[in-house]
Amino acid sequence: MGHDTSFSRQLAARLAPYIGDFNAQMWIKSVARRELGLAPEDLTVKHLPPLIDGLRPFLQTLMGRSTADNLLQQIGREVH
Amino acid sequence: MRFRFLAAFPLLYALIFLAIAWSLQGGEMLAPFTFWQRILVRVLAVAGCLAAVSCFERGDHLRSAWLWLGAGTIVILIRDLLRLSPGFAPQGADPQAQLVVTALGILSNLALLGGVWMLARSWKMAAIVLPGGRSGFGVVAVFTAVLALTVAGPGAYIHLQEVARGDWSSLVLVVSAIVDIITLCLITPLLLTAISLRGGLFAWPWGLVTASQLAWLLYDIAAGLRPGLLPTGLPLPEVFRGLAENYLFAAGMAQYFVIDQVRQAARAPVLRPAAEG
Repeated sequence: MGHDTSFSRQLAARLAPYIGDFNAQMWIKSVARRELGLAPEDLTVKHLPPLIDGLRPFLQTLMGRSTADNLLQQIGREVH
Repeated sequence: MRFRFLAAFPLLYALIFLAIAWSLQGGEMLAPFTFWQRILVRVLAVAGCLAAVSCFERGDHLRSAWLWLGAGTIVILIRDLLRLSPGFAPQGADPQAQLVVTALGILSNLALLGGVWMLARSWKMAAIVLPGGRSGFGVVAVFTAVLALTVAGPGAYIHLQEVARGDWSSLVLVVSAIVDIITLCLITPLLLTAISLRGGLFAWPWGLVTASQLAWLLYDIAAGLRPGLLPTGLPLPEVFRGLAENYLFAAGMAQYFVIDQVRQAARAPVLRPAAEG
C-alpha cells in the first residue's frame, strides 16, 4: 500500500480487527486524502482529530453511533 | 469459537432434520414434523434479528435493516401459524381468509427485501472497498442476475399468467418470485462485502447473511423441481428453508456478539486487538 509509516500503521492496526487489514488501510488512505489532502505516509499524531472525524461515518454505519464514537475515543487515546 | 459454532449450527441442524425426516420414510408424521420444525426455524430467525436490533440505537442504519428482517420473519411466522386454522389452510374455501394469507405473504416478502436491501447498501455508506473493483463487481452481478432469473424467472412468468387469468391467489407467488429475483441479485454486494471485510469481526454477520441468501437460492431451485424427482421422505426445499432461516439466526447473533466485543474493546483501559470468540 505504500504507507508503512508508524502513525497510519498504528491507526490501521486498531481498525483491522473489526474491518480487516485491507479496509483499514483503504479507509485511512481515503480519509487522509479527502480530509487533509495528504498521503498516509505524511500523517502524524496532530492529524488525529480530523482523521477520527473522517472515519466516524464509516464506523457508525457498521456499528451504530454510540459504539463507533466510543471506539474512536478509545483509539484516539491509544495512538495519542 | 463462538462464531465458528454459529456458522456450523445451520449445517448441523440440517443434518439432524434430514436424519429424522428420512427415518419417518414419508409416513403421516412427516408433515407435522416438517411444519413444526419450520415454525422452530422461523422463531430462531426472529430471535436472531431481535438480538441484532437490540445492540443498536434508534436511527442507526443497521438497526433498521435488522428490524425489517425481523418484521418480515414475524409476519411469515404469523401466516404459518394461521395456516393451522381450517379457514386459512392452503386448501381453505374462505376467500377472505385466503386474502389475509396472501396479504401477509406479500408484506413479509417486501419487509425482508427492505432488510436485505439496507444490509446490501451498507458497503457504499461505509466506503468499504469491494474486491475486484468495478469490473469484478460487474462480473459477479451479471452472474447472480442470470442465476436469479433462471431460478425464479420461469415461476414468476407462470404465476403472472395465472393472475392474468383471474387467479388472484397467485399474486403472492408473483410478488414472491419478483422479490426472490431482486434479493438473489443482492447476494453480490453482500458476498463481496463479506469478502472485503475478511480478517475482521464484521465479516461474520455479512458472511452469514450471504449464506442465508444462498440457501434461499437453493430453496428456490429445490422448490422448482418437478414432483417425483426427489425420493419420498426427502423434503429438500424444507432443508434449504431451514438452512436459510438458521443462517439468518446465526447472522443476527453474530451481529450481536461483534458489537458486544467492540464495546468491550472500547471500554478496556488499554486497547487490545479483538480476538474471535
